[in-house]
Amino acid sequence: MKKVIALVLATIMLLSFASALAEKEELILWSIAVESDANTPAYNAAIEAFNASSEEYVLTMQPTENEAYKTKIKAAMSAGAGLPDIFFTWSMSFLGDFVAAGRVYCLDGVLPAYKDELTDTMLANTTYDGAHYGVPLTMNVVTLFANMDLLAQAGWDKAPETYEELIACCDDLVAAGIIPFGVAGKENWCLSEYTEPLLVKTIGAQGLKDCYTGAASWNQEGVIKAMTIFTDMLAKGYFDPNAAAMGNEEVKQAFLGGKTAFYQNGSWNCGEVAAAGDAFVAIPFPVIDAEKATLYEMVGGPNDTLAVTASAKNPEVCAQIAFEMGRTIAREGNLIGSGLPAWAVNYDTSSVNRISASVADMVAQSQGMVLFGDNFLSAEQADIYLNYIALLFAGEISAVEFAEGLAAELQ
Amino acid sequence: MKKKFGYRVNILLFLLPALFLFISVLIAPIVMSAYYSLFKWKGVGPMTFIGFQNYSDIFTMKTVNAGRTLKNALLLAAFSTVIQLPFALWLALKLAKGIKGERGFLSIYFMPVLISTVVIGQLWIKIYDGDNGLVNVALRAVGLLGEKDMIVWLGDKNIALWAAFVPILWQYVGYHMLLMYAGIKSVPPELSEAAMLDGCTEGQLNRYIIIPYIKPILKVSVIFAVTGSLKSYDLIKVLTNGGPASTTEVPSILMYRQLFLANSYGRGSAIAVLLIALCFAFALLINLAFKGDDTI
Amino acid sequence: MSSSAKESRTFAMTAGRKVTFSSVIVYIILIIWALTCLFPVYWMFTFSLKDNAEIFFRNPIGLPENWIWDNYKTAMNIGHMDKYFLNSLIVTVSSIVLTMLAAAMATYAMTRLVWKGRKMMNKFFMLGLTIPIHASVVPLYVVLSRVGLLNSYWSLIFPYSAFALAMAILICNGFMGDIPYDLDEAAFLDGCGVWGIFFRVIVPLMIPAVSTVGIYTFLQCWNELMFSTIFNSGEAYKTLPVGVQDLCGEHKADWGPIGAALAIATIPTLIVYVLLSKRIQESFIAGAVKG
Repeated sequence: MKKVIALVLATIMLLSFASALAEKEELILWSIAVESDANTPAYNAAIEAFNASSEEYVLTMQPTENEAYKTKIKAAMSAGAGLPDIFFTWSMSFLGDFVAAGRVYCLDGVLPAYKDELTDTMLANTTYDGAHYGVPLTMNVVTLFANMDLLAQAGWDKAPETYEELIACCDDLVAAGIIPFGVAGKENWCLSEYTEPLLVKTIGAQGLKDCYTGAASWNQEGVIKAMTIFTDMLAKGYFDPNAAAMGNEEVKQAFLGGKTAFYQNGSWNCGEVAAAGDAFVAIPFPVIDAEKATLYEMVGGPNDTLAVTASAKNPEVCAQIAFEMGRTIAREGNLIGSGLPAWAVNYDTSSVNRISASVADMVAQSQGMVLFGDNFLSAEQADIYLNYIALLFAGEISAVEFAEGLAAELQ
Repeated sequence: MKKKFGYRVNILLFLLPALFLFISVLIAPIVMSAYYSLFKWKGVGPMTFIGFQNYSDIFTMKTVNAGRTLKNALLLAAFSTVIQLPFALWLALKLAKGIKGERGFLSIYFMPVLISTVVIGQLWIKIYDGDNGLVNVALRAVGLLGEKDMIVWLGDKNIALWAAFVPILWQYVGYHMLLMYAGIKSVPPELSEAAMLDGCTEGQLNRYIIIPYIKPILKVSVIFAVTGSLKSYDLIKVLTNGGPASTTEVPSILMYRQLFLANSYGRGSAIAVLLIALCFAFALLINLAFKGDDTI
Repeated sequence: MSSSAKESRTFAMTAGRKVTFSSVIVYIILIIWALTCLFPVYWMFTFSLKDNAEIFFRNPIGLPENWIWDNYKTAMNIGHMDKYFLNSLIVTVSSIVLTMLAAAMATYAMTRLVWKGRKMMNKFFMLGLTIPIHASVVPLYVVLSRVGLLNSYWSLIFPYSAFALAMAILICNGFMGDIPYDLDEAAFLDGCGVWGIFFRVIVPLMIPAVSTVGIYTFLQCWNELMFSTIFNSGEAYKTLPVGVQDLCGEHKADWGPIGAALAIATIPTLIVYVLLSKRIQESFIAGAVKG
């Protein structure tokens, strides 16, 4: 025990000496890039590059796991103490609450230097009252992945292109004893990865956006139609009967292992799905109402973001670091298939996996995009919204009650 | 007079470490939760005073059903008291009797408590799996379930709560058993020897000598089980995450959801205050029920 | 078994050991229960050697198809389990010591010293059983940041001890109530003051309570995740559960290394427990002398 104490004391002394010797001031970055995260190498590369070039500062990253990070950053923001200089955040309402509380540094002074690599669309989700507060990293869209081997077993040698074909295909799959869709009923956001594309393909991306902002009512024909399709699909056994008890990782493995024919989830899965075999492809979800929606309208957008705290030691330097890191992470994430880039692509992309490339193609042709509902809505509204989807999935409420309930509670 | 003053100072000094910890770490959150519960507040930014509206909201909103979570927690507490504890006591009595392999059983029964909730939760998810979980496979083998049928234990809104209770109760049996076993082992041998000489049966010995003797320990067990049930969080989080459609939600899960996911700090705090009041009331009630032992 | 002589002094042996039908039934129940308790240990070990596809889909319960020992290497390299193990140990042991000391002192003041309001004080401490941990995160963060204790061992030791305190006092109450007052009086006549009585008479007789309180406190601290994640940033003070959690990426987690990390975090405590359980049992029997 004495040895341990001596060792601890010695370490503390050494550390304090070391910090006294180093003249560089330390800047702290909070992120979710724990060592097993796909984007961590990109963070590390960006940090090394900065530390090698800076004479005044040394940047240290303190990562926390995704879910726990949400609690941590909120607790720190709430207390207004112990905050880092640069922090990872999600766009729209998540960052918006911190901006409204005056805890975030405005990036407008530094942004012009990077403006030609970032389009307004990519900055839109982190712009509040015309001022920019966030550096976008990657963007993601909801993607429908399909296992063509299983489709072939049900007599389909091409992916369904219209809504009628999709339904026919699902019927054939069920008849062949194959489960069409896997979904994680235990994670409400995974349910929304199914309901939101249905909504977009029925009322259009702008139509859904109007519901979120309150410009249009949730209680409209299109919403009821889309949600009725969802409950019909459930009733016809298109979803894994086990789904209500499954988590996302189980669902993904069941899809990659050949149990379900389709899996609809974020485009961050592209790299992993592509690696699972040639039978796997990404396809656009077909149009349900051609008068209001087009094929490549999608759910998604730039979401992962870096921002600088108002209390940062040298906010201008921190802002520059955030932009430089953002560019690196966008590129690396694109190359390994963990997300589509929010920054201009001016490098060789031939090594990008084929599924990511095909999704990037769809995004390029997209005529409208709306962010994930739970990110778009305020946290309080998102909680209500996701719980309504869960109630619908569990058969507790009907499509009509869904539309009426959301209209009453959110608008 | 002087001596009396010294005595008081000593009392204070003895209480000081506990009071310091208690007030700085525990009383502050209670007071602040009570305060926050009167406001509409996102956790950051401006606060709006709204009186007791949070307390009515949490019972009336369709997606924030505090009443159901309290019912779930009370059910769990009841099951814990009438099933888990008696079974733990039975095990403790059997083991303390000096059965062969006593020490081995003692160690093994305690293991589930030491294993991380994540492992326990993931394991039970596999056990309950609809396709090839152990429970369904067993039911199919004995013909209680058709070959193609499945019961989705953790996904069926009528069953999920009961299914989730089983591992929660199972995990802590060993802990209570150990507490009780320790108590039984400290029963003075003269007492039980005399009783046996008087012709007591084993059941009578347990009932009239041992159980009354270990009453203080039983009280600790009951308080631990009840307050633990009311505050349960970890296993439910892994097993069902409160689903399907919030039917297995318990107060702590709802509170966390409101505090940190829905940014409804006021509502979350209101749930916290209710939970604190409920736990405190139960702790005092249990204490009262065990009156007659003079330790408190 | 060195203690067998002592054991025979307990009532146990007098109950006899005849093989009857009912004792066979009892045995069967005990063994089945033991199997359900051992199963998670087996499962944790096998799942630490699999990959995601096996754990979640192909083969959730059986032995691994390929034994992926590399999972342990990954857990050590990425999860830094060795370093975090030491942190967990420091935090847990300090919390147990602090809890035990504060609880024993407070219990002594409330049961042995006579003053008005001691019963009220006892009830007041029961409040500690009631506080849901999540409600205290933000208030505690504020308190800790004000006194500059964020990012230190103390940011965990103080809260852990405080949260364990109420139950520890409850347990100590039971134990201290069993210590005869004659001993206090004898010590008093020998010239001991309240402190002398506490340290010379009470503390030695409270040793059996240490294991009960210790186990309770240990269970509260060892696997605690939320305080540990939120009150400390960076690697210096991370504890084991946080290390395990760090193995989950934003959109992807390899569960094999997570299993390995959990095994690394759990197996030593299982071994220590099995070794200590003998001591624990003996300390209780030693406690029985007091009767």
